[in-house]
Amino acid sequence: MASLTDPLGLLRDAAMGAEQLGRGLLGQERIRLAVTGLTRAGKTVFLTSLLANLLAAGQGRRTLPALEAAAGGRLRGVRLVPAGIESLPRFDVAAHLAALAADPPAWPGRTEDLSTLELTLEVERRSWLGGLLGSRSITLELLDYPGEWLLDLPMLSQDFAEWSAATLQRLRRGPRAEAARDFLAFVDALPAGTPDDEALARRGFILYRDALRHCRDRLGLRFLQPGRVLNPGPRGEAPILWFFPLPHPEGSGLAMLLARRHAAYVADQRDNFFEPYFRRFQRQAVLVDVLGALHAGQEAFEDTAEALAAIAAALRYGGSWLDRLTGAGVDRAAFVATKADHVPGRQRDALAALLGALVAAPQNRAEGAGAATAVHAIAAIRCTEDDVVTLEGRPVAAVRGVLLRDGRSARIYPGEVPLRPPEPGFWDHGFFEMPEFQPPRLDAQGVSGVPHLGLDSLLAWLIGDLL
Amino acid sequence: MSDPPKGPRVILEDDQPQIAPRLDFGWDQAVVPVVPPNPPSRWSGFGRAAAGVVVLGLGLGALEAANFTAAQFTRGAVQGWLTLGVVVAGFGLIASAGWAELRGLLSIRAVDRARAAFARGDLEAARSEALRWAGGMAEAAPLQPALRQVGSIAELRALLEAGPLAGLETQANALGRAAAVQAFAVTAISPSPGLDALVFAWRGVRLVRQVAALHGLRPGLAGTVALLRRTVFDAAAVAATDIAVDAAARALLSNKLLEQFAGEAAAGALAARRMLRLARVAAEACRITPPR
Repeated sequence: MASLTDPLGLLRDAAMGAEQLGRGLLGQERIRLAVTGLTRAGKTVFLTSLLANLLAAGQGRRTLPALEAAAGGRLRGVRLVPAGIESLPRFDVAAHLAALAADPPAWPGRTEDLSTLELTLEVERRSWLGGLLGSRSITLELLDYPGEWLLDLPMLSQDFAEWSAATLQRLRRGPRAEAARDFLAFVDALPAGTPDDEALARRGFILYRDALRHCRDRLGLRFLQPGRVLNPGPRGEAPILWFFPLPHPEGSGLAMLLARRHAAYVADQRDNFFEPYFRRFQRQAVLVDVLGALHAGQEAFEDTAEALAAIAAALRYGGSWLDRLTGAGVDRAAFVATKADHVPGRQRDALAALLGALVAAPQNRAEGAGAATAVHAIAAIRCTEDDVVTLEGRPVAAVRGVLLRDGRSARIYPGEVPLRPPEPGFWDHGFFEMPEFQPPRLDAQGVSGVPHLGLDSLLAWLIGDLL
Repeated sequence: MSDPPKGPRVILEDDQPQIAPRLDFGWDQAVVPVVPPNPPSRWSGFGRAAAGVVVLGLGLGALEAANFTAAQFTRGAVQGWLTLGVVVAGFGLIASAGWAELRGLLSIRAVDRARAAFARGDLEAARSEALRWAGGMAEAAPLQPALRQVGSIAELRALLEAGPLAGLETQANALGRAAAVQAFAVTAISPSPGLDALVFAWRGVRLVRQVAALHGLRPGLAGTVALLRRTVFDAAAVAATDIAVDAAARALLSNKLLEQFAGEAAAGALAARRMLRLARVAAEACRITPPR
């Protein structure tokens, strides 16, 4: 949020607001769409599908009918903005599409670094008189990044002592305590004033990193900090990452060393990740793998809700008088349940309703800042078709797809998706990991876009009013 | 009614082959652009009447010529051969004119085919059209080896636009400027607005044909009409702007003398600007790549 204590940031906001206003008058708007999502929420696949389908729509294909309708049939073309002198890698949509279309197909791997891409949407003006000025060019900025890094956002407002207390409190709770048993035993054995011995620091870091990995990969948990410990990015593990929470975070010695590293890490993430890319955006899509969280158990489900609330609390939605003055703030935020093709059609509304309950806190925060919000259930790439199976003597709705691991056809009964956070009895069935499906038959060039569910409605809501 | 089964399950389909084919939603077909169906082409009354006149004229003329040639042969071999030579030469010229018209029209259809290939991203079709086009253009002929090597539509388009098409655009602009100067001069010295319009129309048609020739098209009468039909909508938009500008200028200038002076100068400038615009629009219509 803009504040009087940050005059440089305020000036930058004012300059960007003026630029946005000027661009609007000239019909050359630039929209930054923040696609936020926890790890494995499907950001890369979402961006790939969005780009492929928008580019195909620009060629006249009817890949996004709801967006076309929102644009009143005035979308005349979509093209990638040619590369300039950017220092960030470009989001390689062609490579992702080729991998999805290949035989055997491959889903995009874990995102290891930032990448960006810009699209220009050529749209005819609404009025005949305006048409004489030529078409409008709306530039859509997109960013892909490792989902783990997003969880560093709440760290920006905490010092080492606060962060240590909050993190250790979480670690001692539920199944995390078992996963972090060795680490907790190690730090609990460290007395206050432990000297800053490098061997101790490395040992503590390795135990902490292993505990975080176990929580992510075995328990399906997401609220794990710091993000770069789990996904260090292209630079690899550097000494700046070698810190961990301490029960006695005050004082000199080891505590001071870890506090210095914590402060340096937070400053680095702020300067190189959050400030350039998350300080200012107009539209936001928050992607959530609701089904994955639901199947991973009660702890993972509640952890996802907690992580989303913490991220929303740290994000800059605007709403203050200074934000209004400088034109900052988010206009629309969509909360999106991804992988909706993993449930049969009649359960997709329930999926959206469950997401609504899961993101109640972030939604309230966005609405409080004056942003319009909506909840959607989509599949960026549709991999299944609806089917029926007989279980325990009764027919139930299921989905059918081809398994990625062995290429066999399988029908999946995903269980009943509750409309609200489930009762304790719901979790009795234990952990279930949804198998990965093969993507459907695709054109490697992406000329016809990719099959999806609900992506057009989401885009129509997010950016339709700008077209 | 019993509760639904608890917990998710995976049910492998044993009756299915071990390796199942990937799902196919028929997406490629589902998203094909919906083009409004072409209205059934029926000949208008005027078209049928004109065709009848042509058939009568050419048919009866041919019959008459054949009878006359046969009669000449009865008079003598020399007269017969001379008459046959004249008839074959005359009808040959008419046929070659018809063939030239047809080729002109076909060359414009080839531009449409190339543009459609670029628009749907069909690299092979676009490449083959680009090679065929480059083969007939001195400016583009050296580019043919590079055109054979390109790996994507974007590369193919960039190669054409950076090389021969950029040069052709410069030449089209030069033609437009020359026509603009002539239009401005004629408007300034012509005694009546009617003559202005006539001269403008003649110079415009000539300009369109010149630009088309630059792009390797040799439009005859029918081809020129087809090109003019493409350019007329853009030109109409320009004319609408001109009218608005002209009306605004006249509304602002209440002095009679100023009004007269501004009116004449504005008319000449408008004619010149229309020529420049016409050159650009004609060049757009003749390019083998679709407009960006």
